[in-house]
Amino acid sequence: MTEPRDRGVEAPAAGAPPRSSAPPRPRADREGGEQPAVPPLVPARPDVEALWHAAPCAHLLVSAEGLVTDVNETFLRWTGHGREDVVGSAFTRLLPVGDRILYSTNGLPQLTLTGRLDEVALQIRGADGTRQAALLSAVRLDGDGSVLVALFSAAGRRRYELGLLTARRRAEASEARTAEAEAQAQHLVRHDPLTGLLNRTGLLEVLDRALRAADREAPAAVLYIDLDGFKTVNDSLGHASGDELLVAAASRLRTALPEDAVLARLAGDEFAVLHGVPVDDVPPLAEGLLAALGAPVLLSGVEVVVSASIGVAVADDAAGARVATREGGPGDGADEAGERLLQRADAAMYRAKAAGRACWRRHETGCADPTADRLLLLEQLRHAITDGQLRLHYQPRVEVGSGAVVGVEALVRWQHPTRGLLPPSEFVDVAEESGLVRELGAWVLEEAVAQAVRWERHPDGAAVQMAVNVSARQLVDPELVPAITELLERHGLPAPRLVLEITETALMREPEVALAALSSLRALGLHLAVDDFGTGYSSFTYLKRFPVDELKIDRSFVAGMTTDPRDHAIVASCVGLGHALGVVVVGEGVETPQQRAALEALGCDLAQGYSFSRPVPPGPVPPTAS
Amino acid sequence: MPAPSAAAVTRRHHVTQLGRSGATPVVFAHGFGSDQDMWRDVALRFTEDHRVVLYDQVGAGRSDREAYDPRRYATVDGYAEDLLEICEALDLREAVVVGHSISAMVAVAAAARDASRIAQLVLVAPSPRYVDDPETGYVGGFSTEDVEELLESLDSNYFAWAETMAPVVMGNPDAPHLGEALEAGFCRLDPDVARDVARLTFLSDSRDLLPRVPVHAVVLQCRQDALAPPEVGAHVHRALPHSTLVHLRATGHCPHVSAPAETAAAIRAHLRVRS
Repeated sequence: MTEPRDRGVEAPAAGAPPRSSAPPRPRADREGGEQPAVPPLVPARPDVEALWHAAPCAHLLVSAEGLVTDVNETFLRWTGHGREDVVGSAFTRLLPVGDRILYSTNGLPQLTLTGRLDEVALQIRGADGTRQAALLSAVRLDGDGSVLVALFSAAGRRRYELGLLTARRRAEASEARTAEAEAQAQHLVRHDPLTGLLNRTGLLEVLDRALRAADREAPAAVLYIDLDGFKTVNDSLGHASGDELLVAAASRLRTALPEDAVLARLAGDEFAVLHGVPVDDVPPLAEGLLAALGAPVLLSGVEVVVSASIGVAVADDAAGARVATREGGPGDGADEAGERLLQRADAAMYRAKAAGRACWRRHETGCADPTADRLLLLEQLRHAITDGQLRLHYQPRVEVGSGAVVGVEALVRWQHPTRGLLPPSEFVDVAEESGLVRELGAWVLEEAVAQAVRWERHPDGAAVQMAVNVSARQLVDPELVPAITELLERHGLPAPRLVLEITETALMREPEVALAALSSLRALGLHLAVDDFGTGYSSFTYLKRFPVDELKIDRSFVAGMTTDPRDHAIVASCVGLGHALGVVVVGEGVETPQQRAALEALGCDLAQGYSFSRPVPPGPVPPTAS
Repeated sequence: MPAPSAAAVTRRHHVTQLGRSGATPVVFAHGFGSDQDMWRDVALRFTEDHRVVLYDQVGAGRSDREAYDPRRYATVDGYAEDLLEICEALDLREAVVVGHSISAMVAVAAAARDASRIAQLVLVAPSPRYVDDPETGYVGGFSTEDVEELLESLDSNYFAWAETMAPVVMGNPDAPHLGEALEAGFCRLDPDVARDVARLTFLSDSRDLLPRVPVHAVVLQCRQDALAPPEVGAHVHRALPHSTLVHLRATGHCPHVSAPAETAAAIRAHLRVRS
């Protein structure tokens, strides 16, 4: 098949273009010897014309003007056209309109520029109007610029292309569905499934965008909200009620917030609000949220009152802090800025918690970055423990009736090289959050036990009970029991002389775990005390089961008991409850003789406070009380 | 709306400037299924004494594909706006705009809207409407039956239309350097864009714009143009207030490709004489 085409390419150069039914090249006319003067460039073969007409594909010769000048029999058979219908008319008339356009705008220019066309997919109109799929290849012949066209039937290819097209359309539809699923997944990545609010990731994205926005009308404020006592609800009423509470809290926050404020649930019972708000409008906003959350919620038929602690940080604070932390600090991208703003609000929230909860605190402008502060403090504390900067001060525990000192509570202090003597409130929380509390706690236990033994061994000393505070994290540390066992053995202190004080809140955080830990400690023979009693959310069920020896009534009730009848009633109830449970009751924070008298009147067993003695550095013998 | 900057326009349309910067500007606008490179053989015949501006329509050639907005480019107005923005951004004055095929109508629409920077139009194988309009006796060359077939073809013969938009690699034996220069950067038009352009080209009707062209126009009519028969060129000539109809010996729809010398000469012969 290539042979006639090759000849065709060369032939027109050799003479006049073929006319009428004559095939394009040295074909029948030559064979007939009608033009012997023109020698054929390719040796004539008797079957060339037969080959032209019997070729497996359709051939047409088209003039430079676009008119068909010759066709082979294959073409006529294939399309059903008569020779006279085709020859002399425009080639493009054989094409359906779409292909006619494509051939004119693209095929012909390409032929002109490159001299050939290869495998152009198109359709040919048959005599009966049906369209047949074909592949068109063509070469432009030198000389008069006429074009030799070959058409191959391409029904299979056409079916294949239609199949591809169907597949593509289907893929497009599926792509649309995938995009939708993707959007759904993206939504999940950025949202909290329980409340439908943004999650931490989602909030940080919004926060970053807000911080990047050059012309903010008002600085972006972040309010970090933590529900007080959520764990109690979760533990006592079950997770379903806990979830219910979170949904209720989310709904109340949403209702209390302006429409354009962004609300997110970060984790557990922690929510955050992002709102562009003038600094002066922050207090009413925070107060409004506290009030909204403070109303009672009905959960599984039980009315529950939760409060919240809120920390506020404003973007300008972050900008200020960025300068402060430039050295070795994280990069200044909006990502970090958003994260830092959130951390600052978080830190301020902790201050609100420390200030007694159910209140809000703002991150203080001009303060060093609290995060950096915390890290620095931790690092310093780590050294303080090993370098001997920590001290224990001891506050006597006194029998209310007799005034006799029966023991002491060890209270840790940090002799900071530049900041002076720091009380535990300055560093214990940081230690507790970081895990450094294990080292801190171990040091305190070691030193307190050693001191108890020193006093006992002193010629004028006495054997007093040593009370030591144990944090929530320490309590659930599986190493605590073996460590104390070893400690008591090594120093030779009888177990009942050591009192471990654990706050009510720490105990109720994970009561079942606490119960197990208390039981193991109790098995050693230690005394156990519930510290700050009345401030947490003890369930009587647990209180009954906890193997404790003491309840220490929180100082806030003692402080008010002589002025506020309600405080007095609470203290009286605590004493009654303690005695009913068969445990020792201790009044904390006794500052006045009146309070001391009131406690005595209620039958409170022990007391401690400034009224007896403030915490003092250890002397050779145990401290005394006034 | 402020006009986009020269840099933005240049980037959007991959604008190429050749020739003498101070001379009369000639802007070449390519038609359906091609790009600015199709003008090379004609454009190079003007660089000696003109400022030559070539550009790609958005969606074609090396234009910024991201700038393709189906709504903006659903009518010739969107393309006309582009052309005016190019004139504005390059501060062209007294420009000659040469438009081929659908871009002849883009040039018409631009001049009808704002001819303050346009001195003359050259319309190569123009057609304001491809479909016959029996009511007015207008002959466009395509029957309504053809149009239905075309629409069907646009939807079903996807690959052929997509293929069309792959620019022709110019292996011009007379000027092989052109081919080399153009090898790089060829890219296929998005088939969906191609279908939009085909719809616009063959289904729009710009006849009402012709009487509103305030400048002189040269109409170049080819022989054996499967897309624009002689009746169409005659109609354009009649409908334009000021025009000259030139019949080229060149055949087909793309005389600037098949007969660049004749096309360039015909344009030159009718350029306004300037002092």
